[in-house]
Amino acid sequence: MAPVLVWLILFLCLLISVFKYTLALILKWSVPKATVEKDYTYQPTVSVLMPCFNEGKTVYETIESISNSNYPNEKFEVIAQDDCSVDDSYEWMLKAQRDFSNIKVRVGRNTVNSGKARTVCNALQSSTADLIISIDSDCIFHPDAIQELAACFSEPKIGSVGGRVGVRNPNENAITAVQTFIYYAAFQLYKVPENWTRSVGCISGCLFAIRRELLLEIEPKIRSRHWFGIPVNQGEDRFLTHQTLLRGYGTYINNDALCWTTVPSTLPELFKQQLRWKRSIIRDLFYTLRTLPKHVWTLHPNTVLTLVLTPLGALLGLLVVLTMMSGNPMELAGPGPLVGYLAIAAILTVVIRKYSTREAVNNPLAFGAYLAWTVVSSLFLTTLALCTLDSRDWGTRTKEQEHPQEATDDDRGRQENS
Amino acid sequence: MTTEVVKKIPEARPSVIQPMIYKSVVTVYRIFAIITLYVVLFGVVAYGFVMGFYALNTSWAAPVIFSPADDKSLDFTEKLVTSRQTLEDLNVDMKKLGDGVAEMTKHRSALEALEPEIRVAIAREQQHNQATGPQLLELDKQKQADNVKTQRVLAEVKAVEAAIDKDLAAGLITKSDAATQRAALNQVQNSYTDSKIGEILLTDNILEKTTTDTKTLDVLDKQAELISEIAQLDIAIGVAQKQMYEETKQITRLREALATAKQTPYYLSVSGNNAVNFAFVPYDNQTSAAPGSAVYDCYLNMIVCRKVGTVKQIFAGEEHAIHPIFRTDIRGFLIEMQLDHPESAKSKTVFLNRKPLFF
Repeated sequence: MAPVLVWLILFLCLLISVFKYTLALILKWSVPKATVEKDYTYQPTVSVLMPCFNEGKTVYETIESISNSNYPNEKFEVIAQDDCSVDDSYEWMLKAQRDFSNIKVRVGRNTVNSGKARTVCNALQSSTADLIISIDSDCIFHPDAIQELAACFSEPKIGSVGGRVGVRNPNENAITAVQTFIYYAAFQLYKVPENWTRSVGCISGCLFAIRRELLLEIEPKIRSRHWFGIPVNQGEDRFLTHQTLLRGYGTYINNDALCWTTVPSTLPELFKQQLRWKRSIIRDLFYTLRTLPKHVWTLHPNTVLTLVLTPLGALLGLLVVLTMMSGNPMELAGPGPLVGYLAIAAILTVVIRKYSTREAVNNPLAFGAYLAWTVVSSLFLTTLALCTLDSRDWGTRTKEQEHPQEATDDDRGRQENS
Repeated sequence: MTTEVVKKIPEARPSVIQPMIYKSVVTVYRIFAIITLYVVLFGVVAYGFVMGFYALNTSWAAPVIFSPADDKSLDFTEKLVTSRQTLEDLNVDMKKLGDGVAEMTKHRSALEALEPEIRVAIAREQQHNQATGPQLLELDKQKQADNVKTQRVLAEVKAVEAAIDKDLAAGLITKSDAATQRAALNQVQNSYTDSKIGEILLTDNILEKTTTDTKTLDVLDKQAELISEIAQLDIAIGVAQKQMYEETKQITRLREALATAKQTPYYLSVSGNNAVNFAFVPYDNQTSAAPGSAVYDCYLNMIVCRKVGTVKQIFAGEEHAIHPIFRTDIRGFLIEMQLDHPESAKSKTVFLNRKPLFF
């Protein structure tokens, strides 16, 4: 009975994946309404919030890229908020503030390390703009990114809009090459059916635009987020997207709003990042289960499907790998899956080379490594994430924090502005 | 650079009781999580060890218990029964054919012995006819001459008969005398008729003896039938002997096949009264399987092993099985084990020739 059930689940996963990707291609090519009708004359004031922690010189490059935006300079500002970095990030922020005088750059600093979510909230306190764009401090932005994001908000029911995140270091090694493929497929295919009904399940925190009034409404929830009393400072992007949907607003990914991030290039870094994401997904599943009965009849069916299936997929992945390992483990490394993956890699390589030259991958064979990563990700990451939901560790940038401090309520409210 | 305090953001805070509940939940969760992670860690290490062990080990064998109801056993039993039945049928058929051939040969001999006798009888009769035919022809002529004379006498008898009537009417003779005289005249006429019949019969007889008559043709027909019957018997005996030859070959082949089948584990399994223990040995582990080799069974699959028996015999035929760990299709052969501990036949794997981990 159990094997039949597992194979049934496997079949359903495959069916849903095939259906979703096929639907994505159909929508992408033949349904104009799948994309938002952008109005470039709509130019609200924009605050670009940039939380930062131990990014070093990268923050300077990030602000530099934003300073080159094709958006009226008087209508946007950058609010860079340092979360008590122990490196020279803050100094680089100040230097950017001095060097890029064509735009308004405000630099602030938390008095205690508070995590990304709360740092964004702290930065929000300094903003008065109509539109808030939260970005990652390690990203480089396309000059049209702000303009593209803002143009989508001409549709009144849109609450949050995300951009497409590309990879800055696609050819550093096999690990970054694999991520390049995954990022590209995720934005260009996987999100398309969600875009259709304006129900994207997770807008990336790398480039996240949201209406000010909506963010202010959600902010208390972000600050009070906790897991049985333990503050949660991870997965704020998924949480924000979820909250946007629950409030009846639409969420959307504008693939013309581009930014590029430096993806992890070592296995430990990738492992930590993916673990953080898995925790976020699992937390979101619990949150979904808790809130869905109240909202299920008001949300679009595709939104419900997105909210339920995405996190469920992570748990099912664990079952899939366990089933395969209890059967014939060699099947995972068999020629069938490998040929399949390499075929996908070949197609994606050609497509990326044609439509996104900057991310062109030189060695598509690296995608074969995805096979091994799938096992690690599904088997270990999901289990580890399930068992470390109490973790507050961001994972990738905490190594140099010499005197970590707990943020108090008073501390959370204070910041240095310059 | 200035420092300012921005507005304090109120946060939703848990009630007074909640921290206690949260702390308990988190504590239980952490204990559960730590145990789970250690179990997962142990499971992963054990899984990797087992995978590596079976990838490198060359002495494992997988015990096989044949159930009379499994497909192979059922198939084998069905074929065995069919072969035996065919053999029985062939033997019965052979006996019938043998008896038939013997009977036909005997009958043919009898017919063959009869044929010369017929030939001699015909010759003898022909010879006799050649001798008596002319004599009868002479006698026939004489008889015809006698009958002509008698016919003339009979014409006179008619005149005498008329005189009797006149005499009786004149009263010269009594009725009794007249009757007596008439009877005498009838006798003469009868004699003449008999004589004519005799003449005709004689003519027939001469015809029989001097020409080929129907009786002779009947005899010749019988002779031809006899010869034909002998020829048919020859054909039938030939066919039967050919069939017996073919069936003898088939019987030989079937007996050989049955003899081979008796050397297979399936035969031992379905025919033996005692439980027979088998094990599948992949070709990679062939060197460890030899008659007399020790068989080890281990606790925890491969740890702490004990000798549980020996390899009794090795079967020649190739078998396919599913690898007990990797679940792949593998080729190998079967062995029969003499087990001192029958429960080892139910183990997932046993090890041949040596302990897998030296303890």
